[in-house]
Amino acid sequence: MLPFTYALRNLFRDPARLFQTVGGSAVVVLLMMAAVALDDGMDRVLAASGSPRNVILLGKGSEESVERSEVSLEVEAAAGAIPGVASVLGVEAISGEITYQAPIRTASGHESQALMRGVLERALLVHTTVALREGSFPGPDEVMVGHLAHRKLGVSADELGVGQLLYFGDSETRISGIFEAPGTVLESEIWFDRNNLASLSQRDSLSSVTLRLDEGKTDEAELFAFQRNDLELSAIREDRYYEKLGLFYEPIKVMTWVTAALVAAGALFGGLNTLYAAFASRIKEMATLQSIGYTRLALLASLVQESLLATLTGTLVAFVTGYFLLDGRTVPFSIGTFTLILTPSVIAWGLVTGLLLGSVGALPPAIRCLLPSLPKALRSD
Amino acid sequence: MTPFISIQSVTKIFQKGQSLIKPLEDLSLDVPQGEFLSLMGPSGSGKTTLLNLIAGIDRPNSGKIIIDKREVSGLSRAELTRWRARHVGYIFQLYHLVPILSAYENVELPLLLGKLGKAERQERILAALDLVGLADRADHRPAELSGGQEQRVAIARAIVHDPGLLVADEPTGDLDRESADGILKLLGSLADDHGKTIVMVTHDPRAAAAAHRSLHLEKGRFVESPTGHSVSASPSR
Ligand SMILES: Nc1ncnc2c1ncn2[C@@H]1O[C@H](COP(=O)(O)OP(=O)(O)OP(=O)(O)O)[C@@H](O)[C@H]1O
Ligand SMILES: [Mg+2]
Repeated sequence: MLPFTYALRNLFRDPARLFQTVGGSAVVVLLMMAAVALDDGMDRVLAASGSPRNVILLGKGSEESVERSEVSLEVEAAAGAIPGVASVLGVEAISGEITYQAPIRTASGHESQALMRGVLERALLVHTTVALREGSFPGPDEVMVGHLAHRKLGVSADELGVGQLLYFGDSETRISGIFEAPGTVLESEIWFDRNNLASLSQRDSLSSVTLRLDEGKTDEAELFAFQRNDLELSAIREDRYYEKLGLFYEPIKVMTWVTAALVAAGALFGGLNTLYAAFASRIKEMATLQSIGYTRLALLASLVQESLLATLTGTLVAFVTGYFLLDGRTVPFSIGTFTLILTPSVIAWGLVTGLLLGSVGALPPAIRCLLPSLPKALRSD
Repeated sequence: MTPFISIQSVTKIFQKGQSLIKPLEDLSLDVPQGEFLSLMGPSGSGKTTLLNLIAGIDRPNSGKIIIDKREVSGLSRAELTRWRARHVGYIFQLYHLVPILSAYENVELPLLLGKLGKAERQERILAALDLVGLADRADHRPAELSGGQEQRVAIARAIVHDPGLLVADEPTGDLDRESADGILKLLGSLADDHGKTIVMVTHDPRAAAAAHRSLHLEKGRFVESPTGHSVSASPSR
């Protein structure tokens, strides 16, 4: 075996090349981590948003989209007949809600599409993850905002602070509170008093009724929707609803991967090219080492060692960059906001990418360099 | 006595595109142990090709090469590599030192293939550097040495593992006269005082004169040397 110092010092033979290999592998690893983190983050928020104990009643035929769904007000009362509806202090966990998307304007004049939900205080019995962080539940002409709603709107957190004003059409609403619902899409929403949102959006029906049922009782809600044919309802378990939404985002994920793969391929070929050049410039030296008695396998090992050193340095750079650039970053998408987290699996994928780049990536240039016959390599210039 | 190097009816053929090149054809040569032999001849006459066959860098298409009682022409590529590591020192015209390693580390390279401990290696390396007169340059990188010094380091590297055979391809081809004389003297003493068998390719008659015997190669065969010296079948010493 060649000494490790040989591989190490070879790295520094050409600082420009080293920079390219380290930089190229850092880019590839970072993209890999970003793609995995995006994928994970989206899955995580969708998985956290739905509870297996909640059932959403929607208008028949609008299972795909709550916004387009219409459910008459009486359903809320009728749903009280479903066996197994959970209740807290005598109040049943049934929440008729209006879901609405429309542009909203902040005090600074910034206008963007907002996810609005009109609820009564009962909603908190159904959406059990929701908790007020600051302020109070909204009354008339008031709203409470999810603590990530500012990311969805694309404004600073200050603009959605308690006491700030929001403009919806001609009417003005005051932010009464800020809530959290850890890891769910709800955190990007703006919650109105239901009657308030009904008049603002000129609706006289609900979008959905969500129920919280006792463990194992969700079938009852489905049975109810079936039996009360007259209400024209369709029941779907909340976790399944978000799962289905997830399928809708598959193409976006594929796009993310394709984009990441394309950029990574570019960086990879750039890196491979530098390795080709770096190794090719040493054909004669490697032939000399072979003439001394080093096997091609020993030389291959040293070359792989060398490239691994470079790509693992790149991986480390990617980890540090990822820590500052990716970790904790919130990414808005159509129905909410998800968070990129450098989970052990993201780190592991990055590491595997770095290792593969250094080992498998070094093989073609190394082999090409070791392939010529020894006499030929010795006379090459 | 059996010769140290015995080349028997060796033919080497290269394929270059469509055509075949036969740099060596039916060549035979015996070299006794401890002889310092020089090979001369015009460019393309097959000198390097022959040297590579002797050094186990390449294999003949036909014929036998026996070195120190071992038939190296029959060894596989991997076996040849192992054989070279123990029995051959190769000296190149352009030294071929590894630029990122110090003189000491360059000389250490052949020893890292063996089983010697660090202390033993150090002893051998310093002895080899001392023999070539560069004990004080152990820490220098090749770029910090003159051509003559680089070639001395290369010679130290070629002898540090104590091989019986040294091959040198125009070892003085790139050196000024003074450095060349030093190298030739060194090679001479390696043969005379250390019993090394040396085959040296050279274009320089002065270098050839430093050897015990000189052979002239032309178109893959030994010929009467143009300078009138006869090609002696037996060593001249
Ligand atoms: N690997 C190879 N493939 C094809 N042809 C080769 C190869 N090696 C050598 N030759 C050819 O064999 C012939 C002999 O080459 P060789 O290198 O032995 O000559 P040489 O006597 O050492 O010449 P020089 O004095 O220029 O070094 C030349 O025609 C050369 O082109
Ligand atoms: Mg030659």
